[in-house]
Amino acid sequence: MSKFDFYIRRFHSLIALVPLGLFLCFHFLLNSSVFISNAAYLQVINFMKNAPFIIVLELVLIAIPIIFHGIYGIYIAFLAKNNAFQYRYYRNLAFYLQRVTSIILLAFIIWHVYTVRMAVHTPEGVIGVLLAQMQNPLTLVLYVIGVVSAVFHFTNGLFTFCITWGICVGDRAQKIFALCAVALFVVMSVWAVGILLTLSVA
Amino acid sequence: MAVQNVQYIKLKIKRRDNPSSPSYWQDFHIPYRPNMNIVSALMEIRKNPVTADGQQVNPVVWECNCLEEVCGACTMLINGVPRQACAALTDKLIEKYGDRPIELAPLTKFPVIRDLMVDRTKMFDNLKRVHAWVQVDGSWTIDRGPRLSEKDQRIAYEISHCMTCGCCVEACPNYNSKSDFVGPNAIAQVRMFNLHAIGRMQADERLEALTGPGGIQDCGNSQNCKQVCPKHINLTAHIAAMNRQANAYILKSFLDK
Repeated sequence: MSKFDFYIRRFHSLIALVPLGLFLCFHFLLNSSVFISNAAYLQVINFMKNAPFIIVLELVLIAIPIIFHGIYGIYIAFLAKNNAFQYRYYRNLAFYLQRVTSIILLAFIIWHVYTVRMAVHTPEGVIGVLLAQMQNPLTLVLYVIGVVSAVFHFTNGLFTFCITWGICVGDRAQKIFALCAVALFVVMSVWAVGILLTLSVA
Repeated sequence: MAVQNVQYIKLKIKRRDNPSSPSYWQDFHIPYRPNMNIVSALMEIRKNPVTADGQQVNPVVWECNCLEEVCGACTMLINGVPRQACAALTDKLIEKYGDRPIELAPLTKFPVIRDLMVDRTKMFDNLKRVHAWVQVDGSWTIDRGPRLSEKDQRIAYEISHCMTCGCCVEACPNYNSKSDFVGPNAIAQVRMFNLHAIGRMQADERLEALTGPGGIQDCGNSQNCKQVCPKHINLTAHIAAMNRQANAYILKSFLDK
């Protein structure tokens, strides 16, 4: 019997946490330098741009996993027959939102990568584009939707990861993990929106 | 709504004359009697198959058997919720939903044979796929095997309440015509038979099926199954436990070869 489906689904789940989830946290951490000053942020971008093998790291740890997770994830999303409006349970709504945010994120990541990675290359150029995007109310709102979707997708995914890998089994364990995931969602959302707002008033 | 003020039990039933014909809705008003359930209301229609607007029609077809919520035959959508018609008390429904007609529809995940009667063969085929039985046939006596610990007995007893009624797969977004998913109930049954003293001798066969096409990996954690299970089986915990077994099995069979 073919195990292809099982392997690919588990791989899809695993790479979501390592490296993608870790990258998201790292990304937020580096961008938090805007809380210090624009100069500090510029320094961080400079450092990352000049890191050794950065192109290889970007491809292997970010681009390829995201493309695979995205394409296979959209395929999974279209296999479901969503019924969140008929069965209004919290988990079912989260299941539906996980699929909705995947579509939002696909569009957001393409836009984000194109505008600050593909279209500009100098650190000054990157920060210029970001400041312009955050100071335009329309693009700021799109960014808020994008990052909050990313945080939801990550934190809800972290909870289902614990079930998929058989880490939390019982009712009590699942309840505790679900609450932790919600708390993490709130903390990371505030953090991410804080970064965006800091850029918008800089 | 207080049942004292109710004159009629109103039913709105989704009907279909044969598997290939289109479905249509019909209303029926049954003179109110206390302490009825949906099965006895359908029996009233069978006695006098006249719709609310006075039209003589064929009686409504449905299935029922045990009348005490242990066989699963009368499972249908009652006001959009999959549950057993025998355990759906009309007085309770009126209290909860008021005087509006009670909607009865056949399950949507199975082929409709006629009216509220569906063909649930697919569920039983899925149980066969995951080897959900204890294999005792052979050329020598297998005997009873060691006793189960009380902890394992508790887990097995809970899962043994499953009557393959179809509520969990009806509510599951990933169990549909686009997917070959075995469903939450079959996954829980594997846990039960893998606990059994004799059944665990075929544990690998079950895990082989559960990690194959349409296996446990198709679960998307919407957790609707647990919410709608009429037997309150903690299906999501059983799925998580089987995820653990399936991952260990895959890792082990990879490293052992």
